[in-house]
Amino acid sequence: MQSWRRRKSLWLALSASWLLLVLLGGFSLLRLALPPRPQPGASQGWPRWLDAELLQSFSQPRELPEDTASPPQAPHGGSCNWEACFDTSKCRGDGLKVFVYPAVGPISETHRRILASIEGSRFHTFSPAGACLLLLLSLDAQTGECSSMPLQWNRGRNHLVLRLYPAACPRTFQLGQAMVAEASPTVDSFRPGFDVALPFLPEAHPLRGGAPGQLRQHSPQPGVALLALEEERGGWRTADTGSSACPWDGRCEQDPGPGQTQHQETLPNATFCLISGHRPEAASRFLQALQAGCIPVLLSPRWELPFSEVIDWTKAAIVADERLPLQVLAALQEMSPARVLALRQQTQFLWDAYFSSVEKVIHTTLEVIQDRIFGTSAHPSLLWNSPPGALLALSTFSTSPQDFPFYHLQQGSRPEGRFSALIWVAPPGQPPLKLIQAVAGSQHCAQILVLWSNERPLPSRWPETAVPLTVIDGHRKVSDRFYPYSTIRTDAILSLDARSSLSTSEVDFAFLVWQSFPERMVGFLTLSHFWDEAHGGWGYTAERTNEFSMVLTTAAFYHRYYHTLFTHSLPKALRTLADEAPTCVDVLMNFIVAAVTKLPPIKVPYGKQRQEAAPLAPGGPGPRSKPQAPAPDCINQLAAAFGHMPLLSSCLRLDPVLFKDPVSVQRKKYRSLEKP
Amino acid sequence: MCASVKYNIRGPALIPRMKTKHRIYYITLFSIVLLGLIATGMFQFWPHSIESSNDWNVEKRSVRDVPVVRLPADSPIPERGDLSCRMHTCFDVYRCGFNPKNKIKVYIYALKKYVDDFGVSVSNTISREYNELLMAISDSDYYTDDINRACLFVPSIDVLNQNTLRIKETAQALAQLSRWDRGSNHLLFNMLPGGPPDYNTALDVPRDRALLAGGGFSTWTYRQGYDVSIPVYSPLSAEVDLPEKGPGPRQYFLLSSQVGLHPEYREDLEALQVKHGESVLVLDKCTNLSEGVLSVRKRCHKHQVFDYPQVLQEATFCVVLRGARLGQAVLSDVLQAGCVPVVIADSYILPFSEVLDWKRASVVVPEEKMSDVYSILQSIPQRQIEEMQRQLFMEPARRENWSAANHQMNSLIWPREQRDSQIINDRIYPYAAISYEEWNDPPVVKWGSVSNPLFLPLIPPQSQGFTAIVLTYDRVESLFRVITEVSKVPSLSKLLVVWNNQNKNPPEDSLWPKIRVPLKVVRTAENKLSNRFFPYDEIETEAVLAIDDDIIMLTSDELQFGYEVWREFPDRLVGYPGRLHLWDHEMNKWKYESEWTNEVSMVLTGAAFYHKYFNYLYTYKMPGDIKNWVDAHMNCEDIAMNFLVANVTGKAVIKVTPRKKFKCPECTAIDGLSLDQTHMVERSECINKFASVFGTMPLKVVEHRADPVLYKDDFPEKLKSFPNIGSL
Repeated sequence: MQSWRRRKSLWLALSASWLLLVLLGGFSLLRLALPPRPQPGASQGWPRWLDAELLQSFSQPRELPEDTASPPQAPHGGSCNWEACFDTSKCRGDGLKVFVYPAVGPISETHRRILASIEGSRFHTFSPAGACLLLLLSLDAQTGECSSMPLQWNRGRNHLVLRLYPAACPRTFQLGQAMVAEASPTVDSFRPGFDVALPFLPEAHPLRGGAPGQLRQHSPQPGVALLALEEERGGWRTADTGSSACPWDGRCEQDPGPGQTQHQETLPNATFCLISGHRPEAASRFLQALQAGCIPVLLSPRWELPFSEVIDWTKAAIVADERLPLQVLAALQEMSPARVLALRQQTQFLWDAYFSSVEKVIHTTLEVIQDRIFGTSAHPSLLWNSPPGALLALSTFSTSPQDFPFYHLQQGSRPEGRFSALIWVAPPGQPPLKLIQAVAGSQHCAQILVLWSNERPLPSRWPETAVPLTVIDGHRKVSDRFYPYSTIRTDAILSLDARSSLSTSEVDFAFLVWQSFPERMVGFLTLSHFWDEAHGGWGYTAERTNEFSMVLTTAAFYHRYYHTLFTHSLPKALRTLADEAPTCVDVLMNFIVAAVTKLPPIKVPYGKQRQEAAPLAPGGPGPRSKPQAPAPDCINQLAAAFGHMPLLSSCLRLDPVLFKDPVSVQRKKYRSLEKP
Repeated sequence: MCASVKYNIRGPALIPRMKTKHRIYYITLFSIVLLGLIATGMFQFWPHSIESSNDWNVEKRSVRDVPVVRLPADSPIPERGDLSCRMHTCFDVYRCGFNPKNKIKVYIYALKKYVDDFGVSVSNTISREYNELLMAISDSDYYTDDINRACLFVPSIDVLNQNTLRIKETAQALAQLSRWDRGSNHLLFNMLPGGPPDYNTALDVPRDRALLAGGGFSTWTYRQGYDVSIPVYSPLSAEVDLPEKGPGPRQYFLLSSQVGLHPEYREDLEALQVKHGESVLVLDKCTNLSEGVLSVRKRCHKHQVFDYPQVLQEATFCVVLRGARLGQAVLSDVLQAGCVPVVIADSYILPFSEVLDWKRASVVVPEEKMSDVYSILQSIPQRQIEEMQRQLFMEPARRENWSAANHQMNSLIWPREQRDSQIINDRIYPYAAISYEEWNDPPVVKWGSVSNPLFLPLIPPQSQGFTAIVLTYDRVESLFRVITEVSKVPSLSKLLVVWNNQNKNPPEDSLWPKIRVPLKVVRTAENKLSNRFFPYDEIETEAVLAIDDDIIMLTSDELQFGYEVWREFPDRLVGYPGRLHLWDHEMNKWKYESEWTNEVSMVLTGAAFYHKYFNYLYTYKMPGDIKNWVDAHMNCEDIAMNFLVANVTGKAVIKVTPRKKFKCPECTAIDGLSLDQTHMVERSECINKFASVFGTMPLKVVEHRADPVLYKDDFPEKLKSFPNIGSL
């Protein structure tokens, strides 16, 4: 009875609560049952029209066909763009050919050297008729080097007027359809995709090689100033951003805080460099900041950033609105270390790749125009914006980044697991049978190419090998060794001299190492360069030292891309130099690779005994005891041609993990490397 | 309200008196009721508190009921578009204020119907697309309903198609908007600009400083860095769902599907078809379709009828030729079909060209080269074509990403208004901008690729030296020996002792060994292994040597050589004993290997050089719960560091010198075999745990180590730089 009563009271409570539920929730349930309605947030927002379904499309499908074409438009009065004003039909064949108008009358040294630099480049042609771009140098008004209207002017069609320096010539004639490459043009006069924005070069800018970047470490030094501000008279000073609310606003600086250090520097030493104001001052500051590895913070620039057509400046500079100083400062202070690190390195990379010399600026300009002509086979953006840069990654080699040795990490790809051996047979010309057997014995060997480069007739019989063997009849020139033969199908090349001697396991191990460093040269024997105080020049030696900076190409692995670079990007004079002084070719090849990678080559172990008798030393078969004194001039000529000394020294050798360790030989994979 | 109900039912007077059996039943029942109540209560609160009753009316409104605004004939007209406008001249950035999230706020004007003095309407009130577009903005994060907080204003006056509106009156309607102010910060959307006969490439409506998101800009009308180029919306693409098609060869090499082509162009295309036969297909309008068939969905070649846009999927390249206007809706169809567009429209600014790299997904051919188009396309390597197709693929992928956040997007082929807002957002807050890769890289590339944080090839100067960080607990004697040994290394520039013992004070200053470099002691708040990898402010050099307080066997030459090697590989871990991870086929998992093998994939951080940036990454960017896991287990911090560095750089470690173990020769083997074995099991577990957190196995196996150039060479020892390189 009691339990029933209890149950009754329970039921009462239950029904009461149900009643409540219905009362409270009924309406909502009802509303839920209604057709789907907009979700929260729509309330104050754009209404959901009841008759939205009935709204008409902005363009009725049948209207589109009416949209018939009119004949192509003529270019708008005077204004030019690429399609309208550049005739690409002249540019068939192998890319951009440039004719430079010769200077009239006496010219300055700079002008002469710029002319020489263009004439030595791969773009140059001497015939204005065969050129697709006609270049008019407009250098300095003060020295009176202004040219009058040139002969082939043709209303400026396919012309580029290059104004390297700000004090350029006044316009003595109508530019017409000519493109203008000038330093930091204003955004209003700049025609995107047609004109080229140049950096603002100081007068003393080095012609080639370039002023080295100032960045010595990847991350900013602790305690270094956050922000550097421009001084009048061309210096920089660091600002104390902690106390001052508006550090670059003159009004706030009446009370210089104790932390404000006042000192003049030609190059800023800070993490960020604030650049405001107008060109040309701002533009020259910009370049200084790049060189110093100081991240430029541009306040509302009214000028076009240099080479903005191809360079992604968001990766190296910050463009901010000058009207929001506090926000900019806060953003800089809060910027993540990762972003700062990336920006910093990018400034330095861009400086080194495109801005550090007059020659680089000119070549970049021509490369930008060539990319427009190439269209789909132009440099992909990655090649422009990551090391080593588009001047050193030729788009004529490939437009796929994974074909180059530099971008495997970014692409998530890896170099091919096989190599081609390229054996150079110079006089006296014995077929290197033993060497062929040793190399063919490597499981990674894909093919063997014999470059027959001597007067003796080709032997008719070659040893049987597991891999295909091809014989190329060369031109008896040393530079043949680095020609990009189409028969080379692998990424890796093992360059050999017929007199080299290598064992199969040496080849195997070296190739494994190369796969970890596909952009470098991996070699067995080394040279090292040094500064010769006595002669006031560079020298190099094949003596064994604690450091080395070059590996001999008579036995070295490297990427086949370097053959393309050697043959197609080097000035002809340098290749001739190599042909005339064959010992120089090793140095030259090492110069190229070091200039591209900015890293030393890699040495792997080489059988000791044979090293003693090795004919691998430069200069060929001379006995080791009398090392052929390599022409010391070679390295100095190259250093002059490159404009700087690109070689870097390394103090390490990569050995197998258990190399010469006192452990059981059974454990060791490369035990034959240790045999005396 | 809910709370009070709850209290009544679960009254304390009721429940305790019941039998347990019933009790469970009732409690369950009550809970259900309770839940129901809470749920309905929630609903009660939820929609009602947000939706005022006023809105209920708004919802019911029809487009026909919107308020009518009469525009007097003499009301002001804005000036024509100012071609010199740039963000810093025409955009009022002060209205954007400072938003901590670096997001701009967008306001949409209420919809009105504009009529002239005679009551004739100025334009169609609103088109379906513009309505959807505004709806999408209104649902996005950018939207605000507070006109005072807004930094960007979107008029609800529909100017998508210039042909449907009266230019002067529309301009007057714009000018009377409440915050018009010469049009600054106002964003107009237009897809079909210009009109016969000369078809201007930008909207003809005078708009003063207003930003224009327009389809069909040419280089002459586009204000770089100010306007936004958008694609012309194709109604067809929204109607038809096309299956995704992977990269690879297609039936036709080149296809043209446009109908309103200029006869000159059609001649050129047909000449191509004659020359190259089957691989080129030039389609046109169908003339003999039966009744009821939508002509827009069909295309014909001679008497053959093709379904449109499906036929686009059968071609590798699709021609997008200019018509009277530069922007063509067919571009949207072509992109959706995954066909690589061949854009032949001189001076056309491709959609979103400010951030999208069209070179990677399209071919632009000058009009005068029209007859060469086939050979130009033929010269593109197959691999590059496939990369372009993959790039197109990414568009749908991104589309889905965006639309996941916004259901309304599905109906639009491009998340266009979000992109517009993002682009303008990037201009206002450039330091928070989205990078090139985020806009352009397909997810596939992101997966396998790494972007090394220390990508610049750079050998730091030797003079910088390194900072040694010794982690210690209480082994003072051993610590002092380590300090004395390490201080002999020439390049040491600072020594940092991390005192990890909270219960004991470090020895007095006078007791510490006197060394030639500054010595600093840092006391930690908690005994954690991760303290070793904390980015202390005291670290002033880039190079860090992490060293345990019992590593006394390393020679000075060995350490100095390690530093020299680090300088040549500043983005790697450079250590002494190497370890390896192996795949255990029996157990189907990773295994830790400390045997002396020919391979290396890790180095012990008992003594290792690395860049101090990795300390920052370890402390703040370590994925998942690895950091806590390491601290809880008091083990594997070195494996975690190896994983982290390999993952972020994609590179292998460098093992230097023959050193194989850290146990000193004179130390007795206290830890026996059994301890060794549990150690191995634990370490293997770490590898498996980390691999699962990273979602991949980042460690790289190599077969080399670094030795001095003349190591074990037949060469006078005294002439070697590092003669005393140590033993195993």
